Amino acid sequence: MPSHRFDQAKPFAVLGIVVLAWILLPVAVKSFLRVSIYEVQAPVQVSASYARDLQDYWAERAQSKNELITAGRDLRRIYSGYEFEAQQTEALRAEIARLEQLLRLPSNPRFRFEPARIARRDFTGWWQQLVIRKGANYGIPVGAPVVFSGGVVGRVREVHAYTAVVDLISSPSVRLAASVEGDPRPVSYQGGINLPLSAPRGAVEFVPPDVFASTATPKRLVTSDLGGVFPAGLTIGYVTRLEASTDGLFKTGDVALDPRLSELAEVTVLVPLNPT
Amino acid sequence: MHRRWLIPFAVMLLLWSLVAQINHYLAPYGVSLFVGGLLVTFAALRLALRNGLIATLLTGLAIDALEPVPFGTHLLLFAGLHVAVYHLRSRFPREETILGVITALLANLALFLALSFLLLGGQPAANGAWIRLFADLGVSQLFVAAIAPWFFALQHHALAFGHVDLGEESRHPF
Repeated sequence: MPSHRFDQAKPFAVLGIVVLAWILLPVAVKSFLRVSIYEVQAPVQVSASYARDLQDYWAERAQSKNELITAGRDLRRIYSGYEFEAQQTEALRAEIARLEQLLRLPSNPRFRFEPARIARRDFTGWWQQLVIRKGANYGIPVGAPVVFSGGVVGRVREVHAYTAVVDLISSPSVRLAASVEGDPRPVSYQGGINLPLSAPRGAVEFVPPDVFASTATPKRLVTSDLGGVFPAGLTIGYVTRLEASTDGLFKTGDVALDPRLSELAEVTVLVPLNPT
Repeated sequence: MHRRWLIPFAVMLLLWSLVAQINHYLAPYGVSLFVGGLLVTFAALRLALRNGLIATLLTGLAIDALEPVPFGTHLLLFAGLHVAVYHLRSRFPREETILGVITALLANLALFLALSFLLLGGQPAANGAWIRLFADLGVSQLFVAAIAPWFFALQHHALAFGHVDLGEESRHPF
């Protein structure tokens, strides 16, 4: 009878030993284990992403020559437009540098643009993250802003040997300093609830009471340079609803994010040139 | 002897990687799949405690390394669930596929709810998040019910391919 009782209790005794061993394991060993196990699995994520790229390549090979010629012609038009804008940007940069020197202002943070393909999208109700195919091998630092043509994507949370993990702005754990376009007063943005079959959303808090926005007249929410890693003026989303907060001093509301955030295949990491 | 836990571990990792790829494509639709309960079920129902638990613990560690959770979350949850299923397995015909599927569904539900309370329980915006979580849970349960028989058969055949006798595992439960 005692032997039978021990047999019944043995699995729980083993569980107790596992839990105790895990609690007593030094943090350094846990960190080493985490990094090692991640790096062992990284090739699986990256190779799946390369396989998808190959799939896209063969799908594009099936396009007719006429379609390619049309696409090339359209690209030439866009390119010439961008060439002109690049010249204007250079002139404006020179003007900013001249004014900074004249007024003895500290210069704006400068970035190197590092485009990166997405290896894995991991959007659950608990978190929203992307794994990109560039990491420490391209000098990407933790906390670097990540953007795309529609605005802010998120920021780098972890950097590994040749991959990095990006927290999306739609993730409930992401909080940023922001401002409503044309109004320098800071507000707080936080990633929000992402409902099924709908575009990603966020929430905005501490909005001054004299700011108004609705679905019919949305306000563009942009990054603020107050203490954050993001350069000012990048689009976060559009404020589509504002209502008085419970304390009556400020307003809170919803932010509609770019629907393309959930379909991204490539992003750009802004790597600071003079990290502080 | 290592193949007794190495084979189930490799098959669990294969399933986790496949589900990660499916989730990549599901991202634009705002739903995601979770199959944690299915990963644990076969090892807990059919393998000896030591071999099954080693495979389960290693899978938990592999998932913890990839996901933004405190390291050890999946490891401890999987270990607890494994032991609970192992403890109850003598009370029903555990070789039956249908009972395996039901166990996988219940295990998946328990893990999903436990992770949700752990990760979102303290957040102020958690109330609205439950709509998304229930949608994910519903889709995941349908997915688990659909693929569980295939996954059990895959584990069975992989073990047979590695000359691991499941009958012997049953005779030596520890």
